[in-house]
Amino acid sequence: MRILCLVKQVSEPESPFDLEQGSLVLRPPARSQMNSYDEYALEAALTLKESLPDCRVCALTVGPASCDTVLQRAMGMGADQVVRLDGLDDGAGPLAVASAVAAWAKEQAFDLILTGVMSQDAMQGAVGPMCAELLGLPWTSSVVELALDQEQRVLGAQREMEGGRRQQVELPLPCMVSLNSGINRPRYPTLSLLLKAKKTPPQVVEAARGPQPRERVIRVSLPGKKRAGLVLPGDTATKAQRLVAILRERALL
Amino acid sequence: MSAAQAMGPVVAVAELAEGGLAPVSLELASLARELAGALGCQAKLVVLGEGAEPLAQEAARLSGLAVIGVEVTGLEMFSGEAHCRLLADLWPQLNPSYVLAAHTTSGLDWAPGLAVLLEAAYISGVESWRMEADTPCFGRAAQHGKVVEEIEPLQEPVVLTVQPGSFPQPEATTAEPGRVELLTRELPPCRSKVSPGAEAPSRDAALASASVVVAAGRGIGKQANLELLRDLAGLFSSAVLAGSRPVCDLGWLGYGQQVGQTGATVSPRLYLACGISGARQHTVGMQASGFIVAINSDPQAAIFNLADVCVVEDLLGFIPVLVEQAGASGNKLT
Repeated sequence: MRILCLVKQVSEPESPFDLEQGSLVLRPPARSQMNSYDEYALEAALTLKESLPDCRVCALTVGPASCDTVLQRAMGMGADQVVRLDGLDDGAGPLAVASAVAAWAKEQAFDLILTGVMSQDAMQGAVGPMCAELLGLPWTSSVVELALDQEQRVLGAQREMEGGRRQQVELPLPCMVSLNSGINRPRYPTLSLLLKAKKTPPQVVEAARGPQPRERVIRVSLPGKKRAGLVLPGDTATKAQRLVAILRERALL
Repeated sequence: MSAAQAMGPVVAVAELAEGGLAPVSLELASLARELAGALGCQAKLVVLGEGAEPLAQEAARLSGLAVIGVEVTGLEMFSGEAHCRLLADLWPQLNPSYVLAAHTTSGLDWAPGLAVLLEAAYISGVESWRMEADTPCFGRAAQHGKVVEEIEPLQEPVVLTVQPGSFPQPEATTAEPGRVELLTRELPPCRSKVSPGAEAPSRDAALASASVVVAAGRGIGKQANLELLRDLAGLFSSAVLAGSRPVCDLGWLGYGQQVGQTGATVSPRLYLACGISGARQHTVGMQASGFIVAINSDPQAAIFNLADVCVVEDLLGFIPVLVEQAGASGNKLT
């Protein structure tokens, strides 16, 4: 059994940023982390690996060398192999990323591809299903429970929909499943595996080029306020006093 | 015939939930109508599934758009694979310039695959649009919801997924119902098999009707800090504690207390968002609240764009002061 887990490096949600000439520039102390949905996917891959006699987990990311930290974390959590597809343009869209992943994965005969339901930063949820379609694999998304029948080579997945409604999907292997959060408790990397990861550089592969881009970002701006957005001034006590007054004025308190 | 008139229609694909049209279906219809008006083409709505006819009639009545009802025997419940194949098969007949899907767990299960199959441009999570020169461009949230990216398609067809709650429901007009065309299709062979899943977690019944919701996000730091929020809730006569999905994932609150896409949708008079970043998965469940107060230490948090009052403060320092001030000035109702 070979499992491919797609992981993405994202900026921490609290990372400060500026907009400079219509593009986004992170500023210190911006830090990066593994996309939290992908952590759930990797944990699910590692749990499967532990329950199977002969199973290997490969973690793959797409991006420049600065994304190697996310692969170190993946190896620190227990991935056997880490691969980075390099050379896509900055800001490549989901189709470009999915095309690069599919071109590489096509040669590898994975039984299962797992990834997060979306990335925390871009929130598109497109790379997994696009990659599956490009590879001709069945897929499902937003999964919160997984059960593998290895004999039948069928994966049972429970997907969660709006309002918490659930649906059961049975998929023959090989297939692609994107996982929602809460399916497990992602483990922390162990020190020994992290040390090993530091000594094991990822396999770096030139990303295959997909089709010409079909859309482009023309502008990045701050969102307009949907409501008054009154920012309370002053120190903590002043803000608290003001908030109490506002709530009382509106008979909410 | 001018080039604009030769353009294929804007086709919205209705989302069905629990045997009816999901509200977002009519929002898609509104956007389809707006876009088609600007592009000078037709707008259509597709309703797909077993028993499509009555829903197609209803959709035509509510939206006023031309509706194509596709009766698919055996498609009783949502299947991403079936949607993808059926829409791909209908493509030559529909010949759309734009396809509009809901940015929901269902829409996101078929729209990306369809875009690949049909070599379409793909823009997801659309919340706004406008004409830029002669081309529509579409706004979507990015960078954890903190910025808006405007994206221009470089070709047609284009597949859009549209964020629920971003476009109006069609006005309840006396306009004539749209024309309904009925088609019948076989259920395509699917490798994935769908069946009913487990029951949704039972919801905190008080949540839906609460007039005040105090909601915890990951920013509360640890479960023990929920006590602070309980203190805050205690200021009100009937406040209910709720949480964002990450808080429920961590087990700090039960899933029955989750507000958001996969949890409850609430519209209390007052929503106090405490340490909530404001990701769309959460805000779709609370954006209709009467008055929204957000408390967050990140001044750029997306939740502030949705709030009536923004408090940039650390929760642990702020809430005890707030509780004390509210208590000190009397009139505590509990």
